Amino acid sequence: MLYLLQLEWLKQRKHRPFLMLGALYILLLPSSLLIAKSIKEWPPPINTPDTFFRFPDVFIYLGYVGNWLTFFLLGFISVLFITQEFSSRTFRQNIITGLTRADMFWSKLYFLITVALGATVYYGLTAMALGIIHSDALYSSVILKHIDYLPRFFVMCLGYMSFGLLLGTWIRRSGFALFLFFAYGIFIEPVLRWGVHQNLFRHKSMNFYPMNAFEDLVPIPFSEMTKGFEKEFGFQFFLTGQEAMITSLVYIALFLVATYALITRRDL
Amino acid sequence: MVLTIDHLSKHYGRIQAVDDLSLSVEEGNIFGILGPNGSGKTTTLGMILNIIFPDSGSYDWFGGRYGSNPRRHIGALLETPNFYPYLSALDNLKIVAHIRKAENPDYDGILEIVNLRGREGDLFRTYSFGMKQRLAIASALLNDPDVLIFDEPTNGLDPQGIAEVRETLLQIAQRGKTILMASHILDEVEKICSHVAILKKGRLLATGQVGAILSNEQWIEVEATDREKLKALLATIPEVQSVTEKEHFCIVATKPGFQAATLNQKAFQQGILLTHLVSRNKSLESEFLQITKEDLV
Repeated sequence: MLYLLQLEWLKQRKHRPFLMLGALYILLLPSSLLIAKSIKEWPPPINTPDTFFRFPDVFIYLGYVGNWLTFFLLGFISVLFITQEFSSRTFRQNIITGLTRADMFWSKLYFLITVALGATVYYGLTAMALGIIHSDALYSSVILKHIDYLPRFFVMCLGYMSFGLLLGTWIRRSGFALFLFFAYGIFIEPVLRWGVHQNLFRHKSMNFYPMNAFEDLVPIPFSEMTKGFEKEFGFQFFLTGQEAMITSLVYIALFLVATYALITRRDL
Repeated sequence: MVLTIDHLSKHYGRIQAVDDLSLSVEEGNIFGILGPNGSGKTTTLGMILNIIFPDSGSYDWFGGRYGSNPRRHIGALLETPNFYPYLSALDNLKIVAHIRKAENPDYDGILEIVNLRGREGDLFRTYSFGMKQRLAIASALLNDPDVLIFDEPTNGLDPQGIAEVRETLLQIAQRGKTILMASHILDEVEKICSHVAILKKGRLLATGQVGAILSNEQWIEVEATDREKLKALLATIPEVQSVTEKEHFCIVATKPGFQAATLNQKAFQQGILLTHLVSRNKSLESEFLQITKEDLV
């Protein structure tokens, strides 16, 4: 495992898009939330910008910022770090040089897990730092109330990235794969859910789409504000934490199995 | 036996790229796979390197000595040189060394062989095509593999680049390595290889030692004021193998090394005045074209 992780590191350590997107994540995660400070007056229930930075809710707000950032930045990385191997024909060359196709899959997966882990650790540390600075009193029960956001955040990263890995492996061309990744997340899936699924069967099952499940792992704050609509529809708009977790893990497994099948069975 | 190919076939749509191909390569062979473009050379190499899955047939490396993944013991350059463009030559070689699990890779040594010493810190994408090709040869040489595979190693190079690559290949060959080389250039195969297999439309037309498959004949066109006297003279020269009469001259097939000047001198001594004397080598190119046209096995 270490051997395959080292191999991927040799490839990525001077890969400018990877380094830049990584740096952007490190920079934007705290700064995007800190922008809230520039607005002094917030409508209830927030009232003051400090609400965003206090324990335990800092995990929720920072998590939601991280949700967007990981979708864009880590998604970008996950598509690019496999299409790069196709466009420079180094995938083919790695196999010729002596790597097995399974090795190639695992080296990508290990790296992806490492990046997701790194992003999660950084999210945790940033939330802690912001919380400690802005909270008047520190009680471990309050600090740790939303600690389950750490595993959720990790699975969310893994979800976006395994989807990117699958699209990159399948399409091979970075431009089109990136386009499809973002188009699916931003446009295609919402249209499928709200335009098609919701009209055909007005049922809770419309929430069990992959991007929505990953998103609901670290959901939008104030999801309780939609309660009124939910009465009208007869079901919840958001997956519960447990539903989101199980759904996400199933999708991640499917994406990875499909990627493995593509990598090990196709001519290069 | 280094490589045994057994009834290998592959088709793309309706095109049969490789058709029931069987071959064997022994240790120390400089084995050329010769064929025009589209004859299945690269597809064959792709299959034995596990990047293309065959439809049927099998192959075996080193008699199974290295198990299911013998490729760490094979150095190969297939079609284009493929490296990470944003990394330096040395960083790229480090990746190759990592994949091959090389203990103490001799980067300087192999860069010396391909004449890239001093340029190893430059990014791969700044290299000229000739340099990229030479770096690919260097990476094939890394960790001293048992077999080297080169696919059209001089393709796309300028004359100086071609000369350099050929010189490098000959140097490697002299060290007793087994080399498998695909080429559509007959001259290249003839200059470098000990054995050859000729492919056409994915089928094997002929295989054997280069000397047996591609013979190097020469002949002389000659005419004199008195043809009868000339014919009598030719009959007395032991190096002459055959004489074919044409309307304006005779075609004289000779043993290799026989000089047209010798014939001129002998004719002059006999008082025969030559009006036409041209020395020709039977073109290997035309022989190759003939072989691939006639489909002989």
